[in-house]
Order: sequence, then C-alpha cells, then structure tokens
Amino acid sequence: MNVRAQLVMVFNLDKCIGCHTCSISCKNIWTDRKGAEYMWWNNVETKPGVGYPKKWENQDIFKGGWIRENGKLRLRAMGKGPTLFNMFFQPNMPKLDDYYEPFDFDYSNLYKAPPGSDQPVAEAFSQISGERMEEITGGPNWDDDLSGSQVYAVEDSNLEDRTLVEDYGRMFMHYLPRICNHCLNPACVASCPSRALYKRGEDGVVLVDQDVCKGWRFCTSACPYKKVYFNWQSGKAEKCIFCFPRTETGQCNACAHSCVGRIRHVGVLLYDADRVEEALLKPDDQLVAAHRQVILDPRDPQVRESARANGVTDQWLEAAEKSPVYALIKEFGVALPLHPEFRTMPMAYYIPSLSPVISSGADLHELAIHGTIPLLEKLRAPISFLASLLSGGNHQIIAESLQKLIALRVFKRAGSLGQPVLESTLKEAGLDLAGADKLYRLFTIGGYRERNVIPTQQREDLDSYQRKGASGFGILKKTRGPK
Amino acid sequence: MLNNFIFIVLPYAALALIIFVTPYRYFSNRLTWSAYSTQFLERKTLFWGINPWHYGIIPVLAAHFLGVIFPGPMKAFLGNERNLVIFESVGLALGLFAVFGCLALTLRRVNTPLLKQVTFASDWVLLYLLLAQSLTGVYVATFMRWGSQWYLHTAVPYLWSLLTFNPQIEYVTDFPMVFKLHAAGAFVIVALLPFTKLVHMLYVPFDFLKDPPILYRWRSK
Ligand code: HEM
Ligand code: SF4
Ligand code: SF4
Repeated sequence: MNVRAQLVMVFNLDKCIGCHTCSISCKNIWTDRKGAEYMWWNNVETKPGVGYPKKWENQDIFKGGWIRENGKLRLRAMGKGPTLFNMFFQPNMPKLDDYYEPFDFDYSNLYKAPPGSDQPVAEAFSQISGERMEEITGGPNWDDDLSGSQVYAVEDSNLEDRTLVEDYGRMFMHYLPRICNHCLNPACVASCPSRALYKRGEDGVVLVDQDVCKGWRFCTSACPYKKVYFNWQSGKAEKCIFCFPRTETGQCNACAHSCVGRIRHVGVLLYDADRVEEALLKPDDQLVAAHRQVILDPRDPQVRESARANGVTDQWLEAAEKSPVYALIKEFGVALPLHPEFRTMPMAYYIPSLSPVISSGADLHELAIHGTIPLLEKLRAPISFLASLLSGGNHQIIAESLQKLIALRVFKRAGSLGQPVLESTLKEAGLDLAGADKLYRLFTIGGYRERNVIPTQQREDLDSYQRKGASGFGILKKTRGPK
Repeated sequence: MLNNFIFIVLPYAALALIIFVTPYRYFSNRLTWSAYSTQFLERKTLFWGINPWHYGIIPVLAAHFLGVIFPGPMKAFLGNERNLVIFESVGLALGLFAVFGCLALTLRRVNTPLLKQVTFASDWVLLYLLLAQSLTGVYVATFMRWGSQWYLHTAVPYLWSLLTFNPQIEYVTDFPMVFKLHAAGAFVIVALLPFTKLVHMLYVPFDFLKDPPILYRWRSK
C-alpha cells in the first residue's frame, strides 16, 4: 500500500444554475492577461452540447487520454518514439477555431463617436489581432442553454437518440462546470517530453513548470478534457492550478468559493497509488467501481499508518476523516467521475442531475400516483446519456446514485410537510437515517466549512523560524545546506 | 581583410556569444526558452513549412557536424564513389526540402494577418537568414560538386584550427564568394542563436524515453 493524499472537488449538478460566476472569478484571478484571453480554466457548458473546445469529448478527433493495449496502458495519441518525430508539428492539437477567437468591446466609441442620428455602439474587436470583428461567431459558452441545439446539441457524442433535442416535449438539459481534474493518472504529465508537468506529491495538484516547458504542446492534445491550454504569447502551456496559493492556506478555490449555487465541495481523499494502473485496466463499465477501490477509508488504521509513512500529516488525516468528498464519492457513492473511460482517473466528481422532474404535460396524472417526485424511470434525462458522461456506460451505477437522491428528497419532503416518514424509502435506496441527514446537510444547510474541508500546507512542514523569513519564496525548490 | 573578418573575427565572436550568453539566458530567463510555436493560430501552411524545414535541415546540419567530429571515418566512407553519389544526392534533396519549407514558413508570416501579433523583427531576421543560408548551401551543393568530399579536406581542418586557437584560413580563402557567404551566414546564425528562439534546438529532450510516465514532485523529498 502506498497511500497518498489528493485534493478533490465534487460538483452537484442538480444545483448548478449555469451562471458562470465560477468562470469569471477564475478568469479575473488567473487568465486575465495577454495570450490567455481565450483560456477558461473553469468553464461551464450546457449538456447536451459540443462544449469548449468544441467536441472535446470526441477522442477520434483529439486523441486524448489512455487506451489499453496488451494488458498495459498507453497514451492514445502516440508512444514515446513517435513523440520525438511529432515535435515540430502537433497533429492532434486543438486550434484557435476549436475554442473561439477571444473578443472585447471598444467602449470608448460610446463617448468618442461624433454626433449623429444613430446611437453609438461598442464595437467588437479581436483580443488577438486587435482588429475589428464584423461578426462574432463563437464563444466559450456559445451553445448555452441549448441555443442552436440543432447545430450543437445534436453533435453531443453522449446522445444516443438525436431526435431528443428536436422534441420540446422530451428535451432536457443540465450544466456541466469543468476544471482540470488533477487526475491520478494524468495524460498531460505522461505526454510531456520535457517533463515540465508534474503532480505534487502532497496534494496531487497537477502543474506546469513554466521554466521547464519548452512549448512542445503534447499536453494540450493528450489531456482528454482539453484542460491544458497553449499561451500564444509566451509559447508555453498553462492549466488550472487548483488555486494552490489559496488551498495551501486553507481557503477554497476561487471557483468553488464564488459558486452561487453552492454546488461545490472540496476535500481530501486518500488513495493507493500502487493500485491506480491495475484499476485502469478494467473494462469501461467497471471503472467507477475501480475508482472506488483505489480510494481508501481514512479511518482504517492500516491506511493511516501507511499514509503517515508517506508524510501525510495528522492534520491532513483529520481532514480526510471529515472529508465531504469522501462521503459523497465512496461512502454514499452518489458522486461519479467524468468520463472515466478516458482512463486518466479524474479527481473531479459529479453528482448526476435529477431535474427536470416531469417528462411531459401528459404525465401529470403520474404525479397523482407517485407524488411530486417522480420515479427513476420517469426522469427526463436519459440514463444512457448520464451513463455515457459519468460511468463509462454503466446504467446501474447511475441508477443507484439517482435512486439515493430521489429517496432523500421523498423522505425529506415528507418530513418537512409533516407527513408520515417512511424509513423504508431510504433503505430501499441503500441509505439510513444518519446518512440521509448527512447528505441533506451537505446538499442544503451545511456551511462553508462543512461543504469544504481543506487542510493547510507548508506551515506544518517548515520550521516556523524559517517560514517567517522565507514565506512566499519557492516552496517547491530545495535550498542548499542543512534544513 | 574580408577573409580575416569572415574567417577569424566572425567565428570567434560567434563562439564567445554562444558559450557565454546561452548559459546566462538559461539561468536568468528560462521563461523565454520556447520554440514559440504558432500552430495554435495557423496550422494549414505550418504543416507544409515546418515539417519539410526540420526534416530537411536537421540531417543536413548533422552531416556538417559529422564531418567535423569524425573526419577520418567520413573520408573513408565517402572514398567509395557509390557512397559519395548517394550521400550527395540525398543531401541535395534534403537541402531543397528545407528551402521549400523555409519559403513556406516565410510566406506564411507574410500572408496570415493573425500571425502579426506573434511576429517580431527577430522572426524576420531568422527566416530570411536561414532562407539565404539554405539557398547558398543548395547552390554550393549543385554547382561545386562533391562538396561533402572537399569539405573534409578544407573546411574541416580550418574549423579544427579555429578550435585550437591557431586559425589557418589558407584552407578556405581561395573559395568563391558564395562559399564565403555560406560560411559567414553560418557564423552569424550561431551568434544570433542565444538571443533568439533558435535556442529551442539546444534542448531536445531524451530523458523522457526512460522515465516512468507520471512525474511527482515532493516538497519534502
Ligand atoms: C533539434 C530539434 C528541433 C526541434 C524539436 C524543433 C522544434 C521546433 C518547433 C516545435 C517549432 C515551432 C513550430 C510552430 O510554429 O509550431 C520550431 C520552429 C522553428 N525552428 Fe525548430 N526545431 C529543431 C531544430 C531546429 C533547427 C536545427 C533549426 C535551424 C537551424 C530550427 C529552426 C527553426 C525555425 C527558424 C523555426 C521558426 C519557424 C517560424 O518562424 O515559423 N529548428 N522548431
Ligand atoms: S484533466 Fe487533463 S490537464 Fe488536468 S490532470 Fe487530467 S489530463 Fe492533466
Ligand atoms: S458559479 Fe456555481 S452555479 Fe454558477 S455556473 Fe459556476 S458551478 Fe454553476
């Protein structure tokens, strides 16, 4: 056993209102500068939809992630040998058009325009060329709320039945906020010939060392989630840094902190690094179970001992015990990994969405029979769609998760309306009273420190005298001489 | 006078610059150490430029170095007429390939408006210089036959004399002007290398071939 700690984010899709506040706070802090205008380390897309960059999920186009070959994992795009021959031209790299040409508006025209009979307008200009743009033809959320669904949503590769998006009666949508998943088996890290990308041992955050990066661009194609971006100005790769300057001091990431829907949970998982590869060799539909096996119980004394041997501090172990993400992912099994079949073992998990609850007006009589909260089979978002997104095609896993969410709602609704509460509702879905209460708190009234449990870093590791004089400088670099 | 400048002043200046400026840049400003890829902004023409250019220029450059490092074995190898003809033909083809690529790269910068933002004076200087250099190279290869053979008996001993600080320029002073231009171009490129994005060629990664796929960094270890 080789126990390591990982910071993980869980997203409750039911609660995301698609407001993009998270994206804006991230952009304001990290990517509001030259060369990075088009980057959205956090983005929110509408599902079904093509996403950002367009069709990122389609690995026939971008060749991201890993595949199994002869009982081993290998990068889908190319092996190490071909890497040397593809350094000049990167065959699978997304181009500007796959994202969008970033634009801004010339507001000065509003007061500088000469007097005339028309209202002056703020004209759009390209943030790359600086030239005026006649027409804006794309954006980071161009197909928001199913706009242009006949063009965009139908192209969603998770959609089995494309006629769904044409039928108002059956149409559905939910939002999908995405950041870098800080994977346990990151394809971006493996693909970099300069070895500029690395995973931090202490908290699992995946970073690009800007000094080492030489701009070979393999990572931008290798990440199946398209979460490494090429800065056209600096000639280097950049990605989400999990707000490590914030998490190191126990604060929430900017996206999670600002989240209006309070859909996000941040916390610690302990996992067995020695079993990651073996888990990823399982067939697609067993991958969620394999994920859960790699994640370890923080209360198990053996796990704790092994974690300590790897330098996990008591404070981190305590955080792992209280971890909201452990509860959601492993204890209750309601949070699922995004596209586990890409085999990077992503460490961002999603609680599938229940809404909207009624299939169509004609089903109203059903409500009379089953109450306001419908049966699993009556949910509008097809299980096959969610399964393609969150469980490697395993319908059972999605159903189990949704069943718990439905039971929790039915149970709590009855309780708050003073109706008879049936514990059997919970039991049938695999929950008990204490569990229901815990989930209920996490989803609703739990405060900031309950939804997020983030242990601090550095100060425990360093001698306080040294920290006083050296804080802020190169914590990643070794200094010479005795410690 | 001109000979002294081309064959003594230029090479030593270039050598001094590459030896002292390169490490200085590496240690003081590694953030600028990049190939500054423009593929993100334009990829169609780039494909037809960047591949021919690199696949042409890298073997040709390597052949130049082979001559300097292993003059003996190279002489023996090229003493065989069949080897010589094949070597020269392949070399010429690669040279033409490089010229084609470089031309495409230059025209691409001219014709793509979006690239204006990432094109600086140094890019023009490099592209024109490298274009001229590959053109003079192809000219020498075509009109001064068996260059790979006489290179070993003239330029190589001259280059060795430079390295031993006993410059014997008699080896090369009688050559025609194109050859001198080709030599001068080479020294200028070497001199500019540490100041431009050409530094990218000094760092070709091989370590990753033996590394495990996932790299960890620990604060404490
Ligand atoms: C040794 C291995 C080399 C590698 C891996 C390499 C890689 C690259 C890459 C990735 C680019 C950027 C292409 C893009 O815009 O996307 C580039 C550009 C360039 N390389 Fe290399 N290169 C190598 C050697 C060389 C050599 C030997 C030369 C010339 C003597 C050279 C000259 C150039 C030039 C001039 C450009 C700029 C092209 C432009 O301005 O459009 N490279 N190289
Ligand atoms: S999501 Fe992509 S960029 Fe992030 S760690 Fe995984 S492979 Fe790397
Ligand atoms: S801020 Fe929260 S609710 Fe709003 S889009 Fe982002 S994740 Fe969804």
